[in-house]
Amino acid sequence: MWTINRFPAIWLIPALLPVVLMTLYPVGYALWTSLHEVMILFPGEPFVGLENYRRVVASNYFQDALRNSLVFTALAAPSVVVIGTLIALFLQHGFFGSQVVRSVVLLPWVLPGAISAVLWVWVFHPSFGMLNGVLRSLGLIDAPIHWLTNPDTALTVVAIAHVWTQIPFAVVLMMAALSTINSETLEAASIDCPNPFKRFRYVIVPEIKSMIVVLLVYNALTAFTSYDLVYAMTGGGPGTATTLLSFQIWRESFSMYDFGAGSAVAFIVVVISAVLIVAITRALPSDLFASE
Amino acid sequence: MRRRLHPAASFVFAALILLFTGGPVLLSLYGSLVPDRILFSRDRSILTEGPNFETYRYIFTGQLPDSYQQESANRAMISDAARQVPQSLVNSSLNALAAMALNLILGAPAAFVFARYIFPGKKLSFMYLILSPLVPAVALVTPIYMMLQWFGLLGTQLGIILVHTAKALPFTVLILSVFFRKIPAEIFEAAVLDHCSRFQTFFRIALPLALPSVGATGLFAFMISYSEYMFAMVLSGNAQTRPVSVVMAALARNTDVSWSLLNAGIFIAIVPTLVLVVLVWRFVVEGLLGGAVKG
Repeated sequence: MWTINRFPAIWLIPALLPVVLMTLYPVGYALWTSLHEVMILFPGEPFVGLENYRRVVASNYFQDALRNSLVFTALAAPSVVVIGTLIALFLQHGFFGSQVVRSVVLLPWVLPGAISAVLWVWVFHPSFGMLNGVLRSLGLIDAPIHWLTNPDTALTVVAIAHVWTQIPFAVVLMMAALSTINSETLEAASIDCPNPFKRFRYVIVPEIKSMIVVLLVYNALTAFTSYDLVYAMTGGGPGTATTLLSFQIWRESFSMYDFGAGSAVAFIVVVISAVLIVAITRALPSDLFASE
Repeated sequence: MRRRLHPAASFVFAALILLFTGGPVLLSLYGSLVPDRILFSRDRSILTEGPNFETYRYIFTGQLPDSYQQESANRAMISDAARQVPQSLVNSSLNALAAMALNLILGAPAAFVFARYIFPGKKLSFMYLILSPLVPAVALVTPIYMMLQWFGLLGTQLGIILVHTAKALPFTVLILSVFFRKIPAEIFEAAVLDHCSRFQTFFRIALPLALPSVGATGLFAFMISYSEYMFAMVLSGNAQTRPVSVVMAALARNTDVSWSLLNAGIFIAIVPTLVLVVLVWRFVVEGLLGGAVKG
């Protein structure tokens, strides 16, 4: 690590400028809006301080949405990292047909949320979905289970579909991290330590720790702000069972035309996301953010 | 890691992975090959009726499926939107390629200095990049719409490309800087001893050594753009320039569209993805893993 005495603008401006442009003005706009009463139907935009926040937090919809988003994140993010790591560890081994498996694993990656949504609605469809068909032919159920219209199962089902869409990215990055581990280290470890679980814990995990943190942070964020997949699958229902905070922003802004309240929810989401990131990076210290 | 797993264990695990990741896609292929009335019936299936390509024919040529003409066809509705699928694939691919190229050109130098140098403002600029994706896209839609309107980019491909580029850039920089950090410091020290300038170190040493990772990161940007929905929906223009995520969402929400037509649309949208996925493995991931994986 070397030192440069002044800010290396030529190197950084190309990357920073588009990001700043696409966030600074919009965030400033949203912050301003969240402190004013901005409704399309009423003229004037008077300053109302924290009134929007107070109103939003007091609403039952918001409390449901907050709880759903947190549960959804807690279900989805660790699952993606664990399943992704398991698949990556497995795919490192060669076996008959491993090329095919490696390609198929990437499939969910590029599908737009709306497509993934239709695929999974079909799997969980009560009358002609594959899952109920299989359960029925195995004799496990008599009547079809209404997975997506039952408030007890809907959130889990959409979380499964969400995990499915995020697995490929986790697998590729984890395989990349695994491949950078020195092969001599691994050979020495396999001689010294015959127990594969211990070997994983003490030899492999330290090497891939920063990747685990990256994936966990990334997936916590995607889950916490996820929108299109869940919306296309359930529209937030039944009731508010799968209403996430991102729908709440959309609902306040574009169906209630209360842009102040929508922006207030957006700001709360940003703050909670920041807390999530700090919590994850504190809980799992790694050299990712260290200056050396 | 060349050790082989027990064949039975690897077979079971591989089957589970295939079922989970590929199963829903196979179901959609099946659904596109049988008309709805067979899909809904208990005693008829693709085995008794044979595959039916009418929905594909409709999407590419506009010729109506025969089942559409029959009576009592359950939900056998068709929609013009399905015919936009082939063009939308081309649109999305072009957008995503442009966003990917821009991401690598703009992001790689930044990732390099973040990975190898200490400089004033490093922490602030890095944290800004990392924290910017926190802002939920829904909250940014209205102001970005107004901003693009102001620049006159509304409804243009360029507008979507720029927004997608900015959306993917933080991830590109973060991932690339992880990869640049993995290059042993001795190599860079040798470069300094040989009086390489920073530009030479970047172009002659860092970039070639990290090239497979750079490729993989670029594909990540490609995929962010290809599957992005919200901005694509708000910013896209007419039917000729609409990206695939928008067309498919419209099709999926339209409850009048028959399941087989919907599935045919989905499967056509998946085919370029299949090609891409194979290419990614062949040229990027295998290279990234440096021959450590043997099939």
